[in-house]
Amino acid sequence: MNPTTDDDIPTFTDPAHEREWLAQEHAMRREHLHLDPTTDDAHTQRYRLLTRVLREPQPDGLPTDFAQQLANEVASASANVVDTRFERVLTTSLGAALLLAAIVVSVLYGSNWLSAIGASVPIPPPGASRWLLALSACIGMSWLVGLWQRPRLH
Amino acid sequence: MDDVRQSDRELVDAVLANRPGAFARLVRQYQGLCWHVIQRMVRNPEDARELCQDTFLRVHQSLHQYRYESALKSWIGRIAWNIALRHLRRKRIPLVEPGGDEDESNLVEQVGDGFDLEAAWADQQTAQHLHAAIERLSPLQRSVLTLYHLEEMTIPEIARMTGLATGTIKSHLFRARLRLRGELETRLGVAA
Repeated sequence: MNPTTDDDIPTFTDPAHEREWLAQEHAMRREHLHLDPTTDDAHTQRYRLLTRVLREPQPDGLPTDFAQQLANEVASASANVVDTRFERVLTTSLGAALLLAAIVVSVLYGSNWLSAIGASVPIPPPGASRWLLALSACIGMSWLVGLWQRPRLH
Repeated sequence: MDDVRQSDRELVDAVLANRPGAFARLVRQYQGLCWHVIQRMVRNPEDARELCQDTFLRVHQSLHQYRYESALKSWIGRIAWNIALRHLRRKRIPLVEPGGDEDESNLVEQVGDGFDLEAAWADQQTAQHLHAAIERLSPLQRSVLTLYHLEEMTIPEIARMTGLATGTIKSHLFRARLRLRGELETRLGVAA
């Protein structure tokens, strides 16, 4: 039930508006209490009619089995979540097994691969290492400047 | 109020524990509120049905986050409100009509004499005229009137649900009722 007064609700700055508001609330309360309207003035009776119309139940446009339909939908979605969970566990296990196999193979044959890769990479010409060093220094400086500027953006 | 909170807690616990029939019970208990909030905002019954469904699916997804800080009714109402609000924004439908308060302000404290409540109530055309006038209000005013009069929510409850200030809710209620009174007087041919 709506309250008659509430301290948290501000009053209107215009006293005429506040009086009209109180008249609206007064009529609503009298209508809620089913008090005899013949003793009310025309102003109150009009607001009482509005209250009656506004309290008329709205026809619910939802299907009669709406609640059950939704409950079924939610239940089937939950079942799917359980299935997905099992699939996720299976995928993670297979991924872990593959990673372990990759590590074992790398330990066994890694040294052969490294020497083969080293032989296939061309030897850089003299002086190229200096340019590579300069490039690395540029990238490093840009990264440091980025880090320094980040807090100033906020 | 404590009884309501206790029954909310029992219902929420039952849904979270996946007890048979618990979620259907929750939907049945609050589908009327959800319909009132959404239908009053969007007006299209098909959209309203779809948005009600979205609301309860969201309720089911987020129920574990409900902390009993407000009544379950307000919490579900807030979800329904936000879903309807997003729908209106997507459709570029304004929540509040700009301007138009001057006509209503002229009605303040002015009313003609002679009115028979029971005779007016018995007149179906007057009721239809008022229902049509309610439909012409802005989505916000329609919703606020429904929550206040039909759902019997308090202004602070509506404010918490909609995220609007209590003064804003009061102002919309006041202006909407004043405008409806004006519509009623136009229908009755009463000089205001």
